[in-house]
Amino acid sequence: MDRQRIILGIESSCDDTAAAVVRGVPGAAEVLSSVVYGQADLHAAFGGVVPEIAARAHAEKLDHAVEQALGEAGLDLSGIDAIAVTAGPGLIGGVLSGVMCAKGLAAARGLPLIGVNHLAGHALTPRLTDGVAFPYLMLLVSGGHCQFLLVEAADRFQRIGGTIDDAPGEAFDKVARLLALPQPGGPHVEREARSGDPARFRLPRPLLDRPGCDMSFSGLKTAILRARDEAMAGSGTLSTTDRADLCAGFQAAVTDVLTEKSRRALEHYLTLGPPTPTLAVAGGVAANAAIRAGLQRLCAGLGVTFLAPPLDLCTDNAAMVAYAGLERLAAGAVDDLSLGARPRWPLDERSPAMLGSGKRGAKA
Amino acid sequence: MGRLNTVLAFDTSGPHCAAAILVGDDLVACRVDPMTKGQAEHLMPMLQGLLAAQGLGWSDLTALAVGTGPGNFTGIRIAVSAARGLALGLSIPAVGVSGFEALAHGLPRPVAARIAAPRGQAYMQVLRAAVDDAPSLTEASIAPPAGIPLAPEASPQTLVGNIARIGLSRLGGPVPRPAPLYVRGADAAPPRDPAPVIVP
Repeated sequence: MDRQRIILGIESSCDDTAAAVVRGVPGAAEVLSSVVYGQADLHAAFGGVVPEIAARAHAEKLDHAVEQALGEAGLDLSGIDAIAVTAGPGLIGGVLSGVMCAKGLAAARGLPLIGVNHLAGHALTPRLTDGVAFPYLMLLVSGGHCQFLLVEAADRFQRIGGTIDDAPGEAFDKVARLLALPQPGGPHVEREARSGDPARFRLPRPLLDRPGCDMSFSGLKTAILRARDEAMAGSGTLSTTDRADLCAGFQAAVTDVLTEKSRRALEHYLTLGPPTPTLAVAGGVAANAAIRAGLQRLCAGLGVTFLAPPLDLCTDNAAMVAYAGLERLAAGAVDDLSLGARPRWPLDERSPAMLGSGKRGAKA
Repeated sequence: MGRLNTVLAFDTSGPHCAAAILVGDDLVACRVDPMTKGQAEHLMPMLQGLLAAQGLGWSDLTALAVGTGPGNFTGIRIAVSAARGLALGLSIPAVGVSGFEALAHGLPRPVAARIAAPRGQAYMQVLRAAVDDAPSLTEASIAPPAGIPLAPEASPQTLVGNIARIGLSRLGGPVPRPAPLYVRGADAAPPRDPAPVIVP
């Protein structure tokens, strides 16, 4: 059996500054500490994450997060075996700060430096939390991403579908803005939806009539805007009942799309005959109770284990980065001090690009 | 043997990676590699090479000095983040030195320091014997206040050497962690569409 390693992870690819310490071997590791400094207050006035504001905060918080993570783990840097850092994809200003801070730490202590794909961090989290065996199916659904990944090995991911435009988390945020709810929108839309009638507004289920596992959420945002404007016609105001019904309708549409597309992704996955069939979710949207319930019902019907890591390991964190680093270190994949930061870095580089092209390359 | 302070200074606030090593009062190495992109990849190997050429390693350093700008936002974050990581890893101080201070180093005060900014603008600060004025962003053509001379332009080599010397001069007292000096606020606008009025 491999020797136990202790990895320091650093994450700064969006609006969370995070550091964590993870100890163990691939498939059997534990989180010794996980520190996340959020930035919601900094971005609240702008209705979304402002990249330059995020980058400024990361640059001055990362080293504090590292110190706190080490402190909570009861370690200093002499107890660390390697430094893992998110090297992309994400908002480049923040990723750069994380990569440079990690390089400084690695150089100073003579430690291996491991650049981790942020999406691999999410996709490997079920291995950290539950030691799930390969291959498993992953639904990654957050503010920036939405894709089905067949996780075949720690370094082998096959994307079998994903959004062709926006991510659902982005749509939740936009709907919250349209309906005068605070950011981030997910929890607020979900709360309103509880008292709403999901059937009152007829909203589309984009791409549900097409085969395959691809999704689209951009049109749903537009449909909510239209429905809201109709509801406001005459009075110029929106009633709390209208708002709750719009939230419930939107959430039901997203749930229907994700559940049906997950069913198709699972059908494909099950043809591979996995010994322990598992659907795992990650990303902030996976915290939504209605979406979770839909996926749970689906899995129960198909005899598939449904796995949702604890919320703090579902949303952006550095423990997943440390764990992905642990897997890479065990495979001998170490970077040097010329490690770069990549704004775009598809996890599956074999499948044709779905989003983004040109000089900056594919996004997914 | 009395232990001399060994200070590694670096700056990526302009289109370059600049670095210098100060041992005691002697500037023993200085290197500027011009580049408009790729600083993040280039900086650390360059620093390691510069140290190695002097027979030095990271653990020989007693302090770091880092250029905090103003300048390219991404550039100043690259150097500052590296400095913070190194300082934490080596348990040594990292001194943040602004581009204004580097330009005004060794000049009689008061003196104005001016650094080019994008779109025909310039960052300017008046440095005084006691408390410096707040830096500002102005039109590039605006002269310093009457009676205050403008610090002459200086090469990145000179400036990174000055950053090292200023860093050395600040050791001994409390050293706050280096922070980028942006002068200009982040470009961010509130959402265009006003939120609807909600009624019961």
